[in-house]
Amino acid sequence: MIVVDGLQLVIPEIIKRSVDMLESGSPDASVFAQQAFLIIILGALMMAIRYAWRVLLMGSARHLEKGLREELFHRIIHLDPTFYDGVKTGDIMARATSDINHIRMAFGLGIVAIIDAFLLGGATIAVMMWMNVKLTLLALVPMPFLIVSTKILGRKMHEYHNTAQESFSALTELVRESFFGIRVVKVFNFEPLVGEKVTRVATEYFGRNLKRAILTSFFKPLMTFFFNSSTFIIIFYGGYLVTRETVSAGELVAFVQYMGVLAWPMIALGWMTNLFQRGLASLKRVRKIIETEPSVRSLPDAVPPDPGAGDIEISNVVFAYNFGPPVLDQVSMRIGKGGFTGISGPPGSGKTSLIQLIPRLYDPRSGHISIAGRDIRQTDLNSLRGKIGFMPQESFIFSGSIRENIVMGQTVSEQTLSEIIHATVLADILEAMPDGLETVVGERGVTLSGGQKQRIALARTLVTPKDIILLDDPVSQMDTDTASSVMEGVKRLRGDATLVMISHRIAALPFCDTIFIMNKGRIENRGTHQSLMKTSPFYRNSYTAQMFEDRDGTAD
Amino acid sequence: MAPQTDHEEREIKLSDITLIKGIWPFIRPYFWMLCISVLLVFLVTFLELLIPILTQKAIDGFILPQSGAGTDLWGIEIESFKLFAVIFFTVVLVSLITDFAQTVFMEYTGQKIILYLRCSLFRHMSLLPVAYFDEFSSGRLVSRVAGDVENMNEMFSSILVFVFRDLVLMIGILAVMFSMNATMALHISAVVPFILIGILFFSKISRKVFRTLRQKIGEINHVFSETMAGIKIIQTTAGVDLFLRKFGKINTDHLMAGLFQIRIFAVFMPFIGFLSTLGTGIIIWTGGAEIVQEEITIGVLVAFLSYIKMFFRPVRDLSEKFNLLQNALASGERIVSVLNRKPFQDRLSESDHRIGKIERIEFDHICFSYKPEEEVLTNISFSVRRGQSIGIAGHTGSGKSSLINLITGFYRPDSGTITINGEEYENLSIKNIRDRTALVMQDPVLFSTSVRDNIRPPDSTMDDTELEQILEKANCGFLFERHQGIDTMVREGGRPFSSGEKQLLCIARAFAFNPDLIIFDEATSYMDTVSEQKVHQAMQRLMAGRISIIIAHRLNTVRDCDSILLLKKGTIKESGSHKTLMEKKGEYYHLLFQMQ
Repeated sequence: MIVVDGLQLVIPEIIKRSVDMLESGSPDASVFAQQAFLIIILGALMMAIRYAWRVLLMGSARHLEKGLREELFHRIIHLDPTFYDGVKTGDIMARATSDINHIRMAFGLGIVAIIDAFLLGGATIAVMMWMNVKLTLLALVPMPFLIVSTKILGRKMHEYHNTAQESFSALTELVRESFFGIRVVKVFNFEPLVGEKVTRVATEYFGRNLKRAILTSFFKPLMTFFFNSSTFIIIFYGGYLVTRETVSAGELVAFVQYMGVLAWPMIALGWMTNLFQRGLASLKRVRKIIETEPSVRSLPDAVPPDPGAGDIEISNVVFAYNFGPPVLDQVSMRIGKGGFTGISGPPGSGKTSLIQLIPRLYDPRSGHISIAGRDIRQTDLNSLRGKIGFMPQESFIFSGSIRENIVMGQTVSEQTLSEIIHATVLADILEAMPDGLETVVGERGVTLSGGQKQRIALARTLVTPKDIILLDDPVSQMDTDTASSVMEGVKRLRGDATLVMISHRIAALPFCDTIFIMNKGRIENRGTHQSLMKTSPFYRNSYTAQMFEDRDGTAD
Repeated sequence: MAPQTDHEEREIKLSDITLIKGIWPFIRPYFWMLCISVLLVFLVTFLELLIPILTQKAIDGFILPQSGAGTDLWGIEIESFKLFAVIFFTVVLVSLITDFAQTVFMEYTGQKIILYLRCSLFRHMSLLPVAYFDEFSSGRLVSRVAGDVENMNEMFSSILVFVFRDLVLMIGILAVMFSMNATMALHISAVVPFILIGILFFSKISRKVFRTLRQKIGEINHVFSETMAGIKIIQTTAGVDLFLRKFGKINTDHLMAGLFQIRIFAVFMPFIGFLSTLGTGIIIWTGGAEIVQEEITIGVLVAFLSYIKMFFRPVRDLSEKFNLLQNALASGERIVSVLNRKPFQDRLSESDHRIGKIERIEFDHICFSYKPEEEVLTNISFSVRRGQSIGIAGHTGSGKSSLINLITGFYRPDSGTITINGEEYENLSIKNIRDRTALVMQDPVLFSTSVRDNIRPPDSTMDDTELEQILEKANCGFLFERHQGIDTMVREGGRPFSSGEKQLLCIARAFAFNPDLIIFDEATSYMDTVSEQKVHQAMQRLMAGRISIIIAHRLNTVRDCDSILLLKKGTIKESGSHKTLMEKKGEYYHLLFQMQ
């Protein structure tokens, strides 16, 4: 690049020589052919070198973009759900695409521009100085104004860019949410409503973006203005010097040429400021995520859990989401290795919150949880989660084949897979599917029914052997027939793993060794099916209500 | 393993004519503004072109005068060098002002068009059939409204006008050069065909790359959105590695496309630069000779050299802009391909024939499939009238939810007719029917806004007391006990509510709409028995005087329905009231028997 810039400066020199030759006498035409040939050779050389630095510099910007995006993705995939409670998907998406794009522009084109501007600009000015100091200095009078105005505009631009990107994030999220809930939008005729909302947010974005754009609009005319002012000084002061014969006509022409060379670095300067400001503001937004530390971490001296460890002890656990009110209040329970424990209770009683603490999706605010006598915080996080099979309440299906959804990238033998499929009563469904296991299911498995989704999610949980299996209402969307077959399958598959299951369906619970009834963040009752039928009104009412033959008799 | 490309978005390719046709309606309202922009561009260009002429006049007239000092500007003799300086500087100033005015005006126009395009695109998309959303993922569709429209922004706010300006500038420069010295200009024109060929050639390749880039960005958005939605599963299964791999692959693909694009431009841009030096060479060669023969003055040669620089600046600009232009056009293709989807394309009726209250719904020999040769419903016939309720029971995957997709008009049957009040569904306004329908689904959907805005029908005058009564009826007392009542803000993913609470809120929404037809699609799955009982009472109240369709996997939910359809593999296996079905001792009886 330095070479290119150097070469670029040679050309006016050649022109200068030609012009001076013209003035001094009448050389023959072949000299011009020589000079012209020299210029063309230089041009070809410049082309080759420019190719090289373009590929190198812009290429590294692309690599930077990739690296940054990967880092962002690595970070968000490792951040705990607490982080997700505070952010919006659309916002992260905007950062991963639009912001990273701004950063790439700044570091690709921006760096090219800055180096070009400084090298070319500096060298040009040096050559001009060498030719005539006074004229050069005068020509550069507008420069300080340029730098100052660039700085002021740059600062404002940073600010405007930030607010514009924020509202772009909001827009992305709004659109995402509306598309995600499209069925509800349609049935309730919310289309005009969401349309208006999008219009409102888009208009806000329009306003902020326009502010940014107007500020940007100042740049180019301003650059041109300063550039023209310099030309003006050269022509008029330089012209005056030529008439006094302190400067040759050739020099003056070369000066005008050099100003032409300077035009690009000046424009680049303005452009670069713009790119850089945007890039920096965006980088800040991206780094904010990348620098977020997961709040759930392994302690430095963490060790992998003992194989086969299955005793869970929860003692005096208090838990709240972010800064919300506590949802678990001094909960203690002991779950024996290899046992089958049920948890039930009204909605919002803290069942799901409790079970999520075991694979450390969240950490309790106080109290502790230990497995086989060791606090889970002292256990290596990845191997802890590897030992635990967890099925969340809302079954989520990734877009991909059913096989991919069950196997999740692990190596599983065909035999194990077919065992799992039979145990979770998926065989009939797969048979009815066009491509069996390879059938591609859409986002959130739109073409699957709720019960089918649950069975796939369950198969996913059980596909590799675990020491502890946590199921959050796993059969809620299946018909009774299927549900009991699935439960049979789960019991068969679990081996000596500890099984903990939340269920609203009491019918699935009587097989449990122990059943905990939760209410308002506390354990209200515990016991076996028989004892709870006597001691827990909630359990008794639910049970009788669900066995609907007697429902009218005892439910109320 | 299924090939990865199966679930990726296809590349979108459109002809330029289709593209222009698709985008034109959004430009039309602002066309006059664009015209003014272009006029301003003419002015700015004119002023820009004036400066080298003035430079030439200065050199020839004052600095190196052939005869006495002085020059004429369009017939006006100017003898004073100082006066000339004033004129020169005035031109510089005016040029600053017009340049600025032009840029601002242009940005405003561009942003206006984008705003209009974005809002229309979103409205258009929200009217597209549900099948479209089933086909693409929301993450991919979001990148159309957000990213792709943003790319078009460049198109209107800079490219369109700048391309025009640059073209005008180039033609203007050529014209001035020809008027100054035709032979030399002719020599330089020899470069022009190379420029044109270069541009055409590179435009072809680069569009392809930009297409790939845009498509990969859509994929990246999709992976992000899916990862964030399923984060708990990813972290607790071995999914982290899988997703890192998946993302790594797409990200690398994106990088490769990016690098390829750089290589293309690394050839193109220096090539243009080379042509510029070639032009300078030609001028020195031919111009030098002409000066020797006293055909032209040195001033003309200098002006020519300035012009050749000026001539290549727009070319250089144009090729940088080209980068953006190709990017914008690739996005444009993606936008137009969405716009070209008819909202009511083959799946929905376009009629605006309205009906009064829904009195009767009839299904007559309905067959339906999502994909050809995969029938999910076969020969379904039933009818239900106002005040009646119909329960639909059956095993998972027996086609219960597909039935709902037909009643709500999300999809259309392959054969058979659905009639409402005796009129064919096809002939009725979908909006009108949906106005009278409420749906509660198995996955509760809440939007991130206040509870009030989530449940209140649009354009309704319902006040807070009425809403509170509705919430009370829907057992949403928890809102007032643990949250800020109807002002509670729902955040992404329905936080801070539990699944059961979310479903209760969805039921409250159905209540608030006061529908003629209410559909419960496994709505009580997430609810415990105690709440379910309460919802049942409320449902009974709500169902009075309306048509209700209840889909459930648990038979106790449908037991009280006036009639029950038992679906099996897409056909109606048994139908009748609970009592008759019990007496029949068929599948229904056995299903029930298994429950105990």
